Amino acid sequence: MLRRAVLQTFRQGLAQSFFKRNAVSLSETTVTHQPIETSDEADEKSVSKQKPGDESGNTVVVAPPEFRFMYPEFLPDPAMERRNRLKEKLERIDMLQRRSVVEIPEFYTGSVMAVTVADANSPNKFARFVGICIQRGGSGLRAWFILRNVVDKQGVEILYEMYCPLIQKIEVLRLERRLDESLLYLRDALPEYSTFPLDMEPERRLNNSVVPINPLKVKLRPRPWLERWERQNLQGVEDLNLPQRFYDKAEKVAKPWEKYDLMLQYRKTIPAEEQEKIFADVHSQLQQQEFKRKIRRRRGIDNEQ
Amino acid sequence: MSTLGLLRTLFNPKIVTPNAIQLQSLNRSPFLVGLFFNHEQVRTMSRVKRRTTHPPYWHVLKNNQRQDEKISSDNLRFVREVIQDKYKNKSPIKGSDLDIEKKEWDPKTKRSGVIARNIGVQHMWEKDGKKVVCTVLHVLDNHVIRYVPPEEYAKSIIGAKVFRNRKPLGCLVVGAEAANPDRFTRQYCSLFNEVGLLPKKRLARFIVTPNAVLPPCTPLTAGHFVVGQAVDVYGKTIDYGFQGVVKRWGFKGGPASHGATKFHRRGGTIGTGRDKARVWPGQKMPGHMGSERRFCRGLKIVRINMKYNVIYVKGTVPGPTNSIVQIFDTVLPRRKFTEAPPHPTYFPPEDGTLPQEDIWDSSLHVFGSPSISV
Repeated sequence: MLRRAVLQTFRQGLAQSFFKRNAVSLSETTVTHQPIETSDEADEKSVSKQKPGDESGNTVVVAPPEFRFMYPEFLPDPAMERRNRLKEKLERIDMLQRRSVVEIPEFYTGSVMAVTVADANSPNKFARFVGICIQRGGSGLRAWFILRNVVDKQGVEILYEMYCPLIQKIEVLRLERRLDESLLYLRDALPEYSTFPLDMEPERRLNNSVVPINPLKVKLRPRPWLERWERQNLQGVEDLNLPQRFYDKAEKVAKPWEKYDLMLQYRKTIPAEEQEKIFADVHSQLQQQEFKRKIRRRRGIDNEQ
Repeated sequence: MSTLGLLRTLFNPKIVTPNAIQLQSLNRSPFLVGLFFNHEQVRTMSRVKRRTTHPPYWHVLKNNQRQDEKISSDNLRFVREVIQDKYKNKSPIKGSDLDIEKKEWDPKTKRSGVIARNIGVQHMWEKDGKKVVCTVLHVLDNHVIRYVPPEEYAKSIIGAKVFRNRKPLGCLVVGAEAANPDRFTRQYCSLFNEVGLLPKKRLARFIVTPNAVLPPCTPLTAGHFVVGQAVDVYGKTIDYGFQGVVKRWGFKGGPASHGATKFHRRGGTIGTGRDKARVWPGQKMPGHMGSERRFCRGLKIVRINMKYNVIYVKGTVPGPTNSIVQIFDTVLPRRKFTEAPPHPTYFPPEDGTLPQEDIWDSSLHVFGSPSISV
């Protein structure tokens, strides 16, 4: 059973609500906060849907819509000049091959993860790092994420490439989301918000079907900061308590028309029809891999017992 | 002859690659520059016209100049049927059908090249975990159109220049990307009448030795190359348009602040006023940048996908994504073939099975294999 992400449109604005490009089904538009689904509904929705049928009468298998949140790196870079369908297809095949060897779990910005990497300079030849995912990006085999932790009072960030063959294991210790898509402000926050014990155990979740959103509001250190956080509409920080001139300047510099810019959204995203095609292509293999891993895990538990 | 000219001929042998005209590269060694050249700037490409927007005058008009004719749907269908009938019976040549006697490969053989499209860049990893940026080249539906024997080619305009003081070689005309004949002129389609193929969007010439000749209508695929070999890739660089002096020539411009008035990305002085008292030809100035013929030499092939006809080449090639490039065996002497490659080209087995779909170089980490432990 696939875990189902809570449907929440991160991108604000009128354009996203009505524009099908964002692949949000029309029944679920114009709402920024969805009520948490019951597990029954979630179960129904997590199974891959079968469309009523195309002209030839064959049923068309469609991946569940949450795939675009769980596996965002399968979507290519939207820049039209550099797109090529054949190359994207070949890259997807390679990505699935790599995923068949290493489990790359579902994670979001704000999840606490542990990554084990082969390292020639380590005493055990393997280096394990635990941290909170503050940013993720890239598409295809270039997909990456940054983990942050504070070790011996020193903030440490490591960028991992998800498909690098040196990575032995990726574990998600705490699967949750935050109020922002990028947590770079943790660099200017008090260190306790970025500190996680290096021997942290994976946390069990009570409700498997929904990924919780942690409504934590982080306290920032006094200025100077690395970026002008007051200009970025951050939801996950406490009141910045800055003099009014900062907010005035932020207003002057802001681009409030961007949320009405349909073409901007169009250029930043892959069209819904293409997303469906891509994930339909890929989801059966991902499901098979997930299934095999579950069996292996169960066998592992049985063997232990 | 001036001192400069004499020194140029003494120290700079003319490097002419067989597959295109290339101007001589200048020896810029610091020793020579200090000893002989004073402060004279070296200006080679000053008077040469580097790009044109029109094809050479001996090319036939290619694209159909007529506007969309108002044809009824019935007639359109009929036209399509005629085209299908005309071209349907041509089948690609198999290895056993080769008309000419199979000639032996020797180290001096020049094989045909291949027309491909640069479809993007993919990251791969070597067995020690080092990341490698590979360009993905999709070999299009190449067919040999015509062979021009050495004697005839040496009389043509380009051939005469290329083989001025050398023994002439033959030339294979290869076409790629079949298209609807409607979009081309009759003269252009007539180039393909002998072969009986659908007219191709792109044509290229490859210089070959007579023992690597291929008969017309031979298909060329990704299997023409061998994993691990070095290739040269010819392409036209990214077109940047009219660019200023900072981007085009790497000038430093002026200070961003400290009172600089309107002098941030300009070139500054363009002459001394004393020596020669004029602007020298070849003075670096703003102008059109890019869209130039370039070769990337000695790129290693790290992976070939026979099913999709795709070659992965280590490094980057000239040109933007989705542009057409030409690939051929390298001319670099230390990276040439020591063993015989598929000669004159690769022919798939008669029963249609592929011996191996995806061939990887031994240095690369295959994605389906276990993670690397150092």
